[in-house]
Parts: sequence; C-alpha cells; structure tokens
Amino acid sequence: MPEPKNCPFSVVLENVTFAYGENSALKSVSLEVRKQERFGIIGPSGAGKSTLLLHLNGLLRGEGRVIIEGLELRKETLAEVRKRVGLVFQNPDDQLFNPTVEEDIAFGLLNMEINKEKIRIMIKDTLRLMNLEGFEGRTSHHLSFGERKRVALATVLAMQPDVIAFDEPFSNLDPATIKQFIKTIKNLDATVLIVSQQILPVLACCDRIAVMNEGTILKVGSPDEIMADKALLEKCRLDVSFYADIFKNHLS
Amino acid sequence: MKHDYLDKYSGLDSVLRRLDPRTKIFAFFSAIVIIVSEPKGELFPFIFYSVALGSLIMAGRIPLKFVLSRCLIASPFILMAALLLPLSLLFSGPIKSDVFSVNMAALSGSILLKAYSALILVVLLTSTDKFHRLLKGLRSLGMPSVLGAMSALMYRYIFILNDERLRTNRARESRTPGRLKISRFKVLGHQAAMIFLRSWDRAHTVYQSMLSRGFDGSFPEFEGLAFHRRDLVFIIGFFIIMSVIRIYA
Repeated sequence: MPEPKNCPFSVVLENVTFAYGENSALKSVSLEVRKQERFGIIGPSGAGKSTLLLHLNGLLRGEGRVIIEGLELRKETLAEVRKRVGLVFQNPDDQLFNPTVEEDIAFGLLNMEINKEKIRIMIKDTLRLMNLEGFEGRTSHHLSFGERKRVALATVLAMQPDVIAFDEPFSNLDPATIKQFIKTIKNLDATVLIVSQQILPVLACCDRIAVMNEGTILKVGSPDEIMADKALLEKCRLDVSFYADIFKNHLS
Repeated sequence: MKHDYLDKYSGLDSVLRRLDPRTKIFAFFSAIVIIVSEPKGELFPFIFYSVALGSLIMAGRIPLKFVLSRCLIASPFILMAALLLPLSLLFSGPIKSDVFSVNMAALSGSILLKAYSALILVVLLTSTDKFHRLLKGLRSLGMPSVLGAMSALMYRYIFILNDERLRTNRARESRTPGRLKISRFKVLGHQAAMIFLRSWDRAHTVYQSMLSRGFDGSFPEFEGLAFHRRDLVFIIGFFIIMSVIRIYA
C-alpha cells in the first residue's frame, strides 16, 4: 500500500506527546520539515530531542501523528516508513553489530529484499562516497571512532532513505572530522534532521533550526534568527557567544 | 575501543584458514569423537595424535604459546575431571573388574590427554576462521537459526560488555592512588552491577538500531560459503589419518 510522496513536506509531526513512565518527554510537539531541507533541533540535555528522533521511524510511539513523505506512521505502514527514514545513532557502536563493514551495510538492504548483486554495487558506491574504499571486509570493532562513525552513516546512506535523522553527529569528533561531516551532510540527497547540543556545526549546515526545551519546541527559525534571540539561548543553556570572546582575545 | 583478543589469529593466511568452515567443523568434531572413543587408559596412540595436532597447529600458523595459554585457562576443569573421575569410578558401588584392569594413573592420563586434544581442536577451529563464518558454517550444517542468531548477538555483546568493563576499570583505577582502601569485593560488586546495567542499556540501543533498518527477527545472509575440492581432500585425508591412528595404534 505505497502512498504517493508528492507532498511539500518530508516530515510532519502533529501534537506528538510521549512520556517515559510518569516523566513527560514530549509535550504536544508539532513540526514541519520541507523536502531536502537541512533542519537542526538544538536544546540542552533532557530536552526531548533524541526522543523526538526515535518517533520518526516508529521506534517510539506516542500520541499524535507522524507523517513521513505523506505517509502516516501506523502499524501497517511501519515497514515502509522505516525504509523512508534512516536513523544515525550517536554512538556508532550501537549501530554496527555485524561481523564486517560489508555485512553491516548489507543488513538494511537485505531487509529491503534487494537483489544481492545490486547490494554489492550499492555497498561499493556507498563506501566510495564515504571515502571508505577497501573497508568491505574490515571488522567494525577494529576501526577508529571516526571511521566507525562514517561506516554507521554508510549503513543508512546505502538504504537511500528520503529522510536521514542524525542524533548528535558531531559528538566526540575532532574539528577536522566535524568539518568533513558538515560537508558530507550538506551534500546528502535527502531531507536531513540533526539533533545536537553543539550549536556551531548545526549553524554551519542547517537551513532552519528549532530550539527545544523540556519537551516542547520554543522557536523555529533561520540560523540568524535563532542566534539573534540571546534570551532564548541563555534560557536553554545554549548561549555560545563566549566563544566569540575567546576567539577575539586570542586573535588580537 | 579496539578488540582483537577473541579472533586474534583468525585473519592469518594459512592452509587451514582457506578451508570452508564447514570442512573444519566436520573434520575437527569427527576427530574429537575418534579421540574420545579411545579405550580407557590407552596412552600410546596419543603420541600419534599429538603429531597430527602439532601438524595442524603448524599448518594453521597458530603460535604454540597462544594454544598453550588457551589450554591453561581450561586446565583447572580438566585436571579436576582427570583426578576425580577415576576416584568416582572406584568409589561408586561394587567395584567393576575393568576399572582395576587398567592402571589408575593411566586412566587419569588418558582422560587428561583426551580433554586437551579436544580443547586443542576447538582452539584450532576458532583460531583459523572468523567467528561469524563458523556460525554460518554451523547454520548451514543444520544448527537452528534461533541458536545462530543468539550466538551472533552474544558475540556482539561480548565486545559491549568488555568495553564497559574497561571503562569502569579505568574509572576505578584513575581514582585509586596506591592500594584500594575500601573492600575490594564491595567495589567489584558495584562495578559488576554497573557494567550489567550499562550493557543492558546499550544492548537496547543496538536493538533499536537493528529495528530502524528493518530487522524482523531473522538475520539475512549476504555472503555464502563455498565448498572446494581442497575441502574434500582435507576431510578425506584427515579422516583417514585419524582412523588409522585409532584402529592400528
């Protein structure tokens, strides 16, 4: 029962509410993300950002509606939605569970029932895209953290999802790798959602940003609009203007 | 964190490494059955078995030190069995004539040698192939898929558990200048509980990531296994050698 993808928005959330036991994590969150948009969600720890991300492909199900490429997430559409939304987890070790890089990338594709010969080509293409040529037979727990992070992204990219959602993609990476990741994210042929506490890389690669705190979205705007609202950033413990002072002091 | 202690030598190129995992599983388990079927107290054939096993270790390019260290880990259990089993035979009910027909020392010795031979064969098996290929081999030889999936996940979670163990060890040692002043058992107990909780949490996230890529309970196979002529030659040759030792030695 595949539904058409010709809607203006890739992701639509309508009044999504979720609680862990008695702890409310999302309070009636509504959001619209346009096709091919780079959309950032920033907020302090415990704001509900990762919980929101897990709703996108049905790993968590709360109240309200989640619509991906025009297809509402329901029990019967779950498999199709999971094909359309790729999640890249914060810790690559959580994402890589197969014995070799090749089999880790093939895992999602085999679940999509793609022909093995085609899978082989897709793996090669994805590894080339991620500068990981020759890594097919490598074991993930023998790779460096940066390499594992790239393999984790490759496992999702290979499935060619319409939406790619990143959970803290810039954590534990050195500045050069962050720069490389920003470039990769900008060039992705998909709608991209990024959840992060690190504002600067999000500013560098997103068209719009939502500020989240205590399970609600407080503001959505362009990077300039968000950065101009100092009161909001301070309230959410996200103010990074002190970095500017540090730069100024050391450059002068 | 990087780990290579479980399949340390499985990536080495060697004659044994190039064999199909099913060949090795079948040949080595057959050899275990042949060795274990040696009569009680028989020691002489083990001279020939040790030559055969030594040749396999050389063909697998596995350092002898590594094989011995693995044997050392299992030694307490093997020694206990070698010492207690003859005694249990001696003290269980009416004494059977065949128990006395063999020397007790020879009986212990044969148990010891059988156990170490079996252990060396298992070490050889796990050191000359990647764990996931062995699992594939077992699955294609008829191991239930549920058991295969469980073993594959268990193998993955060993690394998670060890990661957590190393992290908590570092945290403990970094705040322990000199000797530990608190009860070691108390600290280790807390550490074990924390490792378990953290691993459980991470295992849950791993499962979520599997679900997000369409996992429905089954592990689809990507790379198949290939049985070559060299596998057939190895099985026949190895089987003949072991049978000859068993029958004529």
